[in-house]
Amino acid sequence: MTDTRSTMVLAVGVAAPIVLATIAVLAFSGLEIAGHTPSAIGPPRNIAEAVGMGSPSEVLRLLDFGEDPNRVLPVRREIISSAIMRVTALEAAVWSHHREMMELLDHRRAIVDADTRRHLICLTKDVGDADILAYLSGGREVECEHGRALALVEERSKKREQDR
Amino acid sequence: MRVDALLNESSAAPDAARWRWLSYGYALLVAIGVAYFLLDLPIQVTDCYGNMVKAAKGTLAELVSGEFHQQSYLRPIGWAQLRILLDVSGGRYFEWFRGWHVAQIVVLFVLFLRLIRPRSLAGAAVVPLGLAALIGIHTFAGTVRESFPVNMFLMVLICSFAAADLALGPPRLWRDVAAALLFVFATLSVESGILVAVVFVAAFMVGARGVSRVGVAMQVLLVIGYLVLRFSILHIGSPGLEERTSGFGFSRLDPSALIEKFGTHPLPFYAYNVASSLLSIVLSEPREGVWVATRDVLRGDVRVFQIFNIVASALGTALIVRYLWRRRREWLAFRFDRSDQLVFIFLAMAGANATVSYAYTKDMILATAGAFYAAALAVAARDFIESMSGLSMARAIAPMLFLVLLSSAWALRAVNAHMGLRIAAVKVRTEWAYVDSWLERNPEVLSEPGAGEMKRHLQEDAVRKHPLRPRLAGRWVEWFND
Repeated sequence: MTDTRSTMVLAVGVAAPIVLATIAVLAFSGLEIAGHTPSAIGPPRNIAEAVGMGSPSEVLRLLDFGEDPNRVLPVRREIISSAIMRVTALEAAVWSHHREMMELLDHRRAIVDADTRRHLICLTKDVGDADILAYLSGGREVECEHGRALALVEERSKKREQDR
Repeated sequence: MRVDALLNESSAAPDAARWRWLSYGYALLVAIGVAYFLLDLPIQVTDCYGNMVKAAKGTLAELVSGEFHQQSYLRPIGWAQLRILLDVSGGRYFEWFRGWHVAQIVVLFVLFLRLIRPRSLAGAAVVPLGLAALIGIHTFAGTVRESFPVNMFLMVLICSFAAADLALGPPRLWRDVAAALLFVFATLSVESGILVAVVFVAAFMVGARGVSRVGVAMQVLLVIGYLVLRFSILHIGSPGLEERTSGFGFSRLDPSALIEKFGTHPLPFYAYNVASSLLSIVLSEPREGVWVATRDVLRGDVRVFQIFNIVASALGTALIVRYLWRRRREWLAFRFDRSDQLVFIFLAMAGANATVSYAYTKDMILATAGAFYAAALAVAARDFIESMSGLSMARAIAPMLFLVLLSSAWALRAVNAHMGLRIAAVKVRTEWAYVDSWLERNPEVLSEPGAGEMKRHLQEDAVRKHPLRPRLAGRWVEWFND
């Protein structure tokens, strides 16, 4: 069958959008293999970021690499918020709003003492997450000064900005 | 003029080979794209880890014979495949099971191209559309996003395409034998493998004689034999209403609600499932019995992927209906060419696949009809282009715009298929991070010998050896969150 100009035009019309999409998928894959994932904020830079991004598998991996979930670490503003940029992984778990994340860290014995647990409970009350609060407190009432735990974390972040 | 010279040149006979190889080359690129995303997907916890623990127990013979004494399922060959791959892998589970999955995709693509035979400009031009429909249709998602850890539904797609390839070829005795073996293999891998027989019977009805009358009669006997074996001899039933939640109307009903609503008179529910399944194949709505997009439109909460899903299916189905209308005289006179036979197989498969979904409709169960939808769409689009070959350039603009819209919608669905794999990869890794909580709910898995070691191994694969790739962000990502 002889291909006419109209056949050619229709052939291009039916093929071009999908071929372009295929090229885009392959280009995306190639860029990612080269270490540049388009439209991503990149991999977490530390365990606090992994928790804040809600990536439990990365949390597990970084814990196994020896990262300390109680260490205050810098997190990028897009991870939690521009006001919260220096947190421990445990504190970041409060903002993850995933009880399982807190459980994961707790099962790995990240909550080392009663003071840490109390701080987390107060922070959870300030941030507001009934599920995580129920897990951390086990149903017991813990007295907290309203807003103090949150202010502590925010102050840390402000100090970082000033230091810059 | 150079264009005319090119067009004249393209009409030469050796061009058939050129278009064919161009099509295979393109399919290879698509396979590479799918493989890249597929190789990011760890082996799942649910439906995989427990299955692998079970398959590793005892000998292969014990495993297979045990599968003949289940309550709801009859999948001895499916389990045998799992066990063989498990043994061959030598502990390199991720590499072998994912590698197997990629190999399945490549085989599927090759069979798809063998079916639609791209041997002209129009034929090659619809290959991207056909492949996009094959991987982009919602019924395909489960064959790549999930595994058990060998995806038996994908195996049935391969067997069904292989069946069509056998049936549409020249008559040979070996094809009859291969057809019978294919049926046994597919049906004892997973229940929907029985649809392989539909391909042979449908193809025979429209004049395909690759498999002879005797071969088709053998298929019918095998179907009867399978049903007798399953229901009368082994007393393996089908999952009942009480086993699963099911979609109905705008929501999903749990087993108790289903029994309350349909317990004594399930026929209306079965009819609903069959009708829903048919509509789902041709319109992408409802999904698993739920009118999700309609509900979201009524709520004013429609999402981008819902729009392009339905637009793609509606335009594609319109093209297939147009093809049927154009060929109605030939069909009524029982004159079928190869394209007609493929479209007829799709229609038969859609009917059969919807019927076997009577008790429970799920996207993945409709995968076979979805795959033949892609073949029928490619045939209909090729016919559309060829029927417009005499148009002037000015009159070709409207059909071209139609094709661009159709193709763009399917392009988005194809991208969505890749995005779905990325989302599944995140979910599976999350499952592995929280696997201890899952094991608290399923303690019986850990009681099996070797379960702890396998858990450690699979978790290591999912979390440490193949860590999460950077998560995508941005508004456009939400367009594809199907």
